[in-house]
Amino acid sequence: MTRDEIYVKLNEVFQDVFDDEDISVNDSTTADDIEDWDSLEHINLIVAVERAFGIKFSMGETTSMKNVGAMVDIIAERAG
Amino acid sequence: MSLVSFEFLLFIAAVVIVYYICPVKFRKFALIPANIAFCCFAGIYTLAFVLLSVITTFTGGLLAGKKTIKSGGRNAAAAVTIILNFGLLCAVKFYGVMDIFAERLNMLLGVSSESWLAFAVPLGMSFYTLQLIGYVLDCLWEKIKPEKNFFRYLIFGSYFPYLTSGPMNRYADLSAEFDREHRFSLDNFKTGIIRIAWGFFKKLIIAERAGVIVKAVYGDHAVYTGWYVVLGVAAFAIQLYTDFSGCMDVVIGVSQLLDIRMPENFNSPYFARSIREYWRRWHITLGDYLADYLYYPLLKSSLFVKIGDVSKKAFGKKKGKKVPIYLAMVILWTAIGYWHGGVWKYIIGSGLLHCFYIVSGMLCEPLFEKIRPILKSDKLPYQLFQVLRTFVLVLLGFVFFRAANVSDAIQMLKALFMRSAGEAAIDLTLANYIVLGAAVLILTAVDLYKFRPKDTDEPRSVIALTNGRPVLAWLIIVLLIAAVLVFGMYGLGYNASSFIYASI
Repeated sequence: MTRDEIYVKLNEVFQDVFDDEDISVNDSTTADDIEDWDSLEHINLIVAVERAFGIKFSMGETTSMKNVGAMVDIIAERAG
Repeated sequence: MSLVSFEFLLFIAAVVIVYYICPVKFRKFALIPANIAFCCFAGIYTLAFVLLSVITTFTGGLLAGKKTIKSGGRNAAAAVTIILNFGLLCAVKFYGVMDIFAERLNMLLGVSSESWLAFAVPLGMSFYTLQLIGYVLDCLWEKIKPEKNFFRYLIFGSYFPYLTSGPMNRYADLSAEFDREHRFSLDNFKTGIIRIAWGFFKKLIIAERAGVIVKAVYGDHAVYTGWYVVLGVAAFAIQLYTDFSGCMDVVIGVSQLLDIRMPENFNSPYFARSIREYWRRWHITLGDYLADYLYYPLLKSSLFVKIGDVSKKAFGKKKGKKVPIYLAMVILWTAIGYWHGGVWKYIIGSGLLHCFYIVSGMLCEPLFEKIRPILKSDKLPYQLFQVLRTFVLVLLGFVFFRAANVSDAIQMLKALFMRSAGEAAIDLTLANYIVLGAAVLILTAVDLYKFRPKDTDEPRSVIALTNGRPVLAWLIIVLLIAAVLVFGMYGLGYNASSFIYASI
């Protein structure tokens, strides 16, 4: 999967989880940039991304990803 | 040894001298005898408990983080270590609060009521146990590589400044601090001494005076009614904040003298505009810890994911996805309450009541969305209202926190609307009220200066104002020390009570 392909799918996941079709994420997007992305919604997002790409994030990764770019790095490594 | 005692200051002076006499390369290892000595001052059993936790979590971390062991074995190693340490903590805490149970255990163990376990309770076991369990989980989750050198781990596990009341450190951060080269610097001394003096100011000038009001009002609900209740509850909010954050100032300041930075635990909490924001500003390291090691793992567990799937089908996507969040929050807040002390007044006052505030806020969010534009929520008057509302909700929790038990807290709330049965008299002179009021004003000004509306922004540093202005730095130090010496409640015939959180 290329990073572009990952982003197409990832945008769909973000739009679905946060119920906002205008969301578009990039490498530098963080929780600060998306209004509803807070500590309460974080795991909903993680689980949705895991399901969409058929991968698993470790607990360490779940709590320490700095931005969407870090998330995409892991997806690219695991989703093949 | 209390952190606000002359003995402690002497101890710090000795540690700092020995620390900087040691060659730079071995400087951090000079902390080991300091840590051991500090534990010994608290009692030899304290040292035994700390060492037991350090040894077991060191071994547990090695096994949990060893990649050549299968995941089942690693999980088992982590589970055994956590159960052992957490079990010990629960046993000691439970033992400490359940008198009847304690007596029975004493009989079984054949020891007197002044037993060895009693010595272990006040040393801040709640703090170091959680910190060390966090290390084991970090190894298991491969956030860090397990430490192979026991002595390096011992410095982290028994680091004396945090031992009594936190803040809760992460191994990755604190070990990086230990590993830096530590050279004597005047800047560290300036910052450290200002922080320590500010901690003494908060504890000895504010907390101890506010404590006199609190003790009187909480002591007799029949006499102290109406406005006295308001005064007592507000005084406790001031006492608890200055006591705990003052303790953190001393701890962080001492660590600064050793050129080791520790995370901040408070960020102008009483200016929070919501309960969620309040918990991001009050006891910050505990909140972060429980989010990372309890709340997130719970929500990510297959059981909670399944509950989410079922509830989405039952209540629709938007409402259904909140159900596991609410459930996890009830567990999280019960844990926070229990951690403060295994009795209902803490579970309600520091736990479930706050859970109720947050969950009901989330449930009412659609309504708030509609009324926000009408109330002009982006304007200052509404924001001030939010600050006041949050503070009042926090005060309600504190009523339970400070009262002797739940029924006592309810009596206290009833007393708010009752007539006094006698003459109320608080043993505090007018001069003391003036000193307390002036000191609280200074504290408010400092917190207001530090306050940034967004809690994730780095707070403004008052100490940074002294950069390049040595005269101002000295003036602040001299004024703080003079204020503590003149107005502090200490000295012969007066024993400053120990820090509230040091007995948690």
